[in-house]
Amino acid sequence: MKIAVLVSPAVHPVSGRPCAGEADLAALALAQRLPGELQVWYAGAADDAALADYLARGAGTIHSLNLSPDSDVLSALGSALQGVDMVLCGARSGGGDGSGLLPYQLAEQLGAALLPDVLDLSKSDRQWRAVQALPKGVRRTLQASLPLVASVNPRAATAPGWSYARLQQGKIRRKAATGAALAPVVLEPSRRARALVAASKVSGHARMQGAIAGGDAKAAGVVVKQGDSVEKAQVVLDYLRQHQLVDF
Amino acid sequence: MSFSLAHALTGLFWLGALLLLGGLARRASLWQQGHSASVSWLGLLAMPKRYFVDIHHVVAREPAVARAHVAAAGGGVAILLLSALNYGLMLYQGWLDVLLVLMAAVMLLGARMMQARRLQAPPRLSQGRWQVLPARLRLFALGSLLAAGLLFAGPQMGMAGQLIAVAALLMLALGGAELALGIGLGWPMKHAVAGLLHLAFHPRAERFAGKSSDLKPLNLAAGELGVAKVEDFAWNRLLSFDACVQCGKCEAACPAYAAGQPLNPKKLIQDMVAAQSRGTDPAYAGNPHPGREAAVVVKPGEDIVGSVLAAETLWSCTTCRACVENCPMLIEHVDTVVNLRRHVTLSRGEVPGKGSEALANLRNTDTVGGYPLAVRYHWAIDLDLPVLQPGDQTEWLLLAGEGAFDMRYQRALRALVKVLKAAGVKVAVLGAAERDCGDVARRLGDEAGFQRLAKANIATLAQYRFDRIVTPDPHVFHCLANEYPAFGGQFEVWHHSKLLEHLLARRAIPLKADATPLPPLTFHDPCYLGRYNDGFNAPRNVLKGIGIKVVDMQRSGRDARCCGWGGGAAFTDIPGQRRIPDMRMDDIRETGTGRVAVACPNCTAMLEGVVGERADVIELAELVAERLA
Repeated sequence: MKIAVLVSPAVHPVSGRPCAGEADLAALALAQRLPGELQVWYAGAADDAALADYLARGAGTIHSLNLSPDSDVLSALGSALQGVDMVLCGARSGGGDGSGLLPYQLAEQLGAALLPDVLDLSKSDRQWRAVQALPKGVRRTLQASLPLVASVNPRAATAPGWSYARLQQGKIRRKAATGAALAPVVLEPSRRARALVAASKVSGHARMQGAIAGGDAKAAGVVVKQGDSVEKAQVVLDYLRQHQLVDF
Repeated sequence: MSFSLAHALTGLFWLGALLLLGGLARRASLWQQGHSASVSWLGLLAMPKRYFVDIHHVVAREPAVARAHVAAAGGGVAILLLSALNYGLMLYQGWLDVLLVLMAAVMLLGARMMQARRLQAPPRLSQGRWQVLPARLRLFALGSLLAAGLLFAGPQMGMAGQLIAVAALLMLALGGAELALGIGLGWPMKHAVAGLLHLAFHPRAERFAGKSSDLKPLNLAAGELGVAKVEDFAWNRLLSFDACVQCGKCEAACPAYAAGQPLNPKKLIQDMVAAQSRGTDPAYAGNPHPGREAAVVVKPGEDIVGSVLAAETLWSCTTCRACVENCPMLIEHVDTVVNLRRHVTLSRGEVPGKGSEALANLRNTDTVGGYPLAVRYHWAIDLDLPVLQPGDQTEWLLLAGEGAFDMRYQRALRALVKVLKAAGVKVAVLGAAERDCGDVARRLGDEAGFQRLAKANIATLAQYRFDRIVTPDPHVFHCLANEYPAFGGQFEVWHHSKLLEHLLARRAIPLKADATPLPPLTFHDPCYLGRYNDGFNAPRNVLKGIGIKVVDMQRSGRDARCCGWGGGAAFTDIPGQRRIPDMRMDDIRETGTGRVAVACPNCTAMLEGVVGERADVIELAELVAERLA
C-alpha cells in the first residue's frame, strides 16, 4: 500500500517564523503507524528551512513540488499522487489561508473517498475504518475503501520529538511543477447569524387554547367527541384536505 | 633463614609488580574502547602538584579522613618504594629495613584509623569490598612490619622467627593481593592507579590552572552528537570513572538525591564503570538511584541510556556542580550527564516533560517561555532606559535575560535600574534584539540550539559598542563569560552583584543616612554564580554594604544547595519524594531570619513557588533600592 502524507509549513503565532503545523505533524505520525510505503509530499514555494521541522520530527525524505507562491498546488499534487492508495494531510494548514479545502478538492480530483477530521485509522476486512472527531468530543466511525483521502485532526497522534540528527539525515527532493494561478482571495467580514424571531408573541398555552377551544376564535379547532373512530378520522382527513396537507 | 626470607620478599615483590602491570594492561584495554583525546604527557609531571595541592583542597575539608589517608597511602607508597629498592633491586640493606619498619608502622596506624571509621560508616560510603579494604591494608602493613623487623633483627630468632616469617609472607600475600590485583579486577585499590593516571590525563586539565566550569562545544559539523555508547566517551573520560573511590560525597551533596529523584551521582559514575567493564567488576554495594534497583544489566553494544542508565536519572540532574565540587578524585559528573543528554536530545529527540516545549520555544521564538522578543523590556517603558541601535555606544550594556518576562522578577529589574541610575551608571539595553543566551538549550542537551543562539547573539553584540555587560541572571553571566569565548565572543561580563559591590565600595550609591538597624537575613547562593564562578563574596559584601547582617545557612557558599531550577530540571520535572526548593526553604527556615536574599531570577521563581508558610524572597537589587536615599 502506498501512503502519501502532505505537509506544509505553518506560521508560528508569536514570532511569525515558519514551523511545522500541528495537524500535518499528526498526519505524519498517524501515517508512520500504518503498514505501507510512506512518502511525504510538499507543494509550494517554501525553502528548506521552513520544512526543517518535519525532517527533524521523522519525515525522512520530503518530495517537494516547487511552485511559484501564486499558483494553485491542486493540479500538481493531483498528478503527483496518481496511484497512491491513501493520502493523509492535516485538516487545515497552519499557514496560508488555511481554508481546509484542499483535502476535498484533492479527493474529487483523485476520485477517492474523503474521510474528514480523522483521529484514527484501522483496517477492517477490505475497508478502512476511521474514527472521526466531531465537536464536543463526539466520535463517529466512518468506513471507506481505497483509494481514500483523510484529513487528520491535530490530536490524532504525536510525531517523534524534534531531533537534530534526523534533521541532518533528512533530505528534500525538489522537482519543478506548474499550477494554475490562484484565484485572488477576497476577504470579507463574516455575517453574524440573525437571531430567530417568533411569528407571534402569544404564549404557547394561549396558542394551544386557540387551537382546541371551539367558539368564536377564527383559528379555533373542532373538538370531536361524538361518533366512532371512523367518523373522527374522517374529520381529521377533511381538515387535512381542506388545508391541502394531503393530496388524496 | 634471613637469606631465604629476603629472597621470598624479592619474589613476592616482582610477582606483585607483574600482576599489577598485567592488570593495568587489562584495564587500559577497557579505556581504549573510548575515542582518542588530546592529552599532554606533561600531565605526568604535573601529577604530584595536582595530587598534593588540588586534591588536598577537597580532601582537607574532612580532616580526620585526610589524616588517615595520608598515613595509609603515604605509608603504603613508602613501603612499596623501599621494597622496590631493598628487595626488588636486591640491595638487602639493614638501614632500609629500619625505614621499612617505620613506614609500615605509619601505614598500620592509617589503616587502623580507616578501619575505625568503617565501624560507623556513614551511609554514603559503599560497602562490599570497600568495607574490608582497611583490614586488608592493615594485614599488608603488619606483614611488612614483621618481615622487615625480622630481617633487621637477624637470624637469632630461631624457630619462632621461622614461624613469624611464614606468617608475615602470608599477610603480605593476602594484603598485597589487594594492591596488585585491584586495577585488573576492579577492586577498590583500582583507585590508586586509575586515580593517579586520571590526575595526569584529566579530561578537563585546565581546571588545574584556574576555574573551569564551562561545557565544551560539540563539533556538530564533524557529526559529534554526544555519547550513546561507551565508545563515544574519550578514553581519559573512561579512565576518570575508574578513579572513583565511592566515598559518596557527591551523593551527600546532590539535591536530586536528597529529594528522592532517581539520581545518585556516585551510582551514575559506577554505572559508567559497569558499562565500560561490561559488568566484570565486583557488584556495586552502595546506595542505588532512589526508587531503583542497584543491580544493572549490561548489554554490550547497546546505548547507555536505556540499558545501564534510565533516562529519568539523567534528567534529574540540576547541573548544580555540588558533586564536582565535593569529589576528592576530581571527577566531572556534570560533563558526563550533559554528554549523555546530548545524545538523547540530539539523536533521539526524547526530552521529557516541558523540556521539549522549552526547546521548541527557543527554536521558534528565541525565548524559553515562547514570548515575543519585543516585549522583553516592557517593564522598563517608564524608566527612560536607552535602547541601543546598531552602532550606538554605552558604558554598560544590561542584559535582563528570561527573567524580564516574569512579573515578579520585573520588580527586581526595575530596582536594579533605579539603583544604577542613582549611582550615575550609563546603562542601556538591546530591546528586541536580545535573544536567550542558550543556557537551557545547552543543559538540556540541545547543543545545536545553543550554538545557533550563541552565534546569533555574538553577531548581534558585535553591532554595538559597549565597555562591559552587566546581567542579574547568573546563567546569562556564565554563558557569556565562560561559554561564548569558544565561539569567538569575548566580552567582559559582570554579574550585577559584582557591579553593586563595586559601586558601594566607591560610595557611588546614595544611601539613606538613618541608623535604623535592618533585620538580618540569609543569602541563597546561586549555583551558576557561586560554584560555577566563585562569586561567593560579592553578594555578601553588597548586603554588608547596606548594613544587613547575613546569617548563613548550614549549606551555603561552596556547599549551597541548588534551588532545583538548573540544567532545565524545572522543565523536565522528574518526580521524587520531595521538591528541591521545598528542602531549600527548610534550610532557610532553620536560620530563623524569615527573609532570604537571592541573586538570580530562577532562584527567585523556585523559592517563591514554595507553597505554604515561607520566608520572604527578596532580590539583592531590591534590598539596595530600598536603602536608596
